[in-house]
Amino acid sequence: MALLNSSGAMPRALSAFSVLSVLRIFTGLELLEHGTSKILGFPAVPSFAHVQIGSLAGAGGLIELVGGILFTIGLFTRPVAFILSGFTAAAYFMAHAGNGFYPVLNGGELAALYCFVFLYFVFAGAGPWSADALIGRK
Amino acid sequence: MIPSEIWAPRILSILRIVLGLILLQYGLAKLFGWPAVEMFENLKWSSLFGVAGFFELIGGSLLILGLFTQPVAFILSGEMASAYFIEHFPHSFFPVQSEGDLAVALCFTFFYFAFAGGGPWSLDALLAKRKLDAIA
Repeated sequence: MALLNSSGAMPRALSAFSVLSVLRIFTGLELLEHGTSKILGFPAVPSFAHVQIGSLAGAGGLIELVGGILFTIGLFTRPVAFILSGFTAAAYFMAHAGNGFYPVLNGGELAALYCFVFLYFVFAGAGPWSADALIGRK
Repeated sequence: MIPSEIWAPRILSILRIVLGLILLQYGLAKLFGWPAVEMFENLKWSSLFGVAGFFELIGGSLLILGLFTQPVAFILSGEMASAYFIEHFPHSFFPVQSEGDLAVALCFTFFYFAFAGGGPWSLDALLAKRKLDAIA
C-alpha cells in the first residue's frame, strides 16, 4: 500500500518525520500571517482593519502572533499546539458555528482543520527541523 | 511506551477523517448542490470546478475510509496546489488576502498524509493486518 516509503533506500530528508516539520512550518506561517494582519495591519485585510488589541479579535491576533512564531520555529511545540488547538476550537464555535452547521457554509473549515492539525502536533511533537529538536526537547 | 507514542498515530487517523469530511462536503456542494453554497450554484460537471468536485467527492470518501490513503493524499495535495495557484494566487501573494489559506493548509496536510499514511484506524491498516495474518 505504501506509495513512497516502500523502499528502505528512500532519502532521510523525504521521510514522514521531516514532512511533519514542513507541515508545522507552513501551518505556523499561516497562523502568523493572520496574527500580523490583525495586530500590525500587514498584510492589509479589510475585515481586520479596525481590530482593537483589547477586543476578542485582538486577543486572538496576539495568540496567533506569538503562537505562530513559536510554532514556526518549533519551540515548546507540544504545549503551544495544545493552546492553539483550544484557541481554534473556540474560534470555530464563537465566530463560525453560529452561521450554519456545515463548515462550507459558515466559513469555519480552516479553524476546524487547524484545530485537529494542532491536536495532532500535541501528540506528534515538532519533528526534526525545529528548535525543540535542536535543544533536545522531546 | 509513553502515551503520546500510542496516541499520535490514532490522532493522525482522526485528523484524516476530519480532513476527509471537510473535503467531501466541498465535493457534495459542487456536484449535488448540498449543502447549498451560492458560489457553486448552476455549476457544470464538466467545468474546472466540476472536475475538482469529483476529486473532492471520491478523494474525500476514500480518505474517510482510509483506503489507498497515500496515493489519494498525494493526488489531492496536487489538486489543492493547483486550486491555490489557479484560483487564489493571482489575487495576492498573501493567502490571507487571496483567501487561499484553506487551499494552502489542505495542500500541506495532504502532503504529510502522502508520507505518513492513514494511521491505525483505517482500511489500509486493516488490509495490511489481514495480509500479515495470511502470511503467518
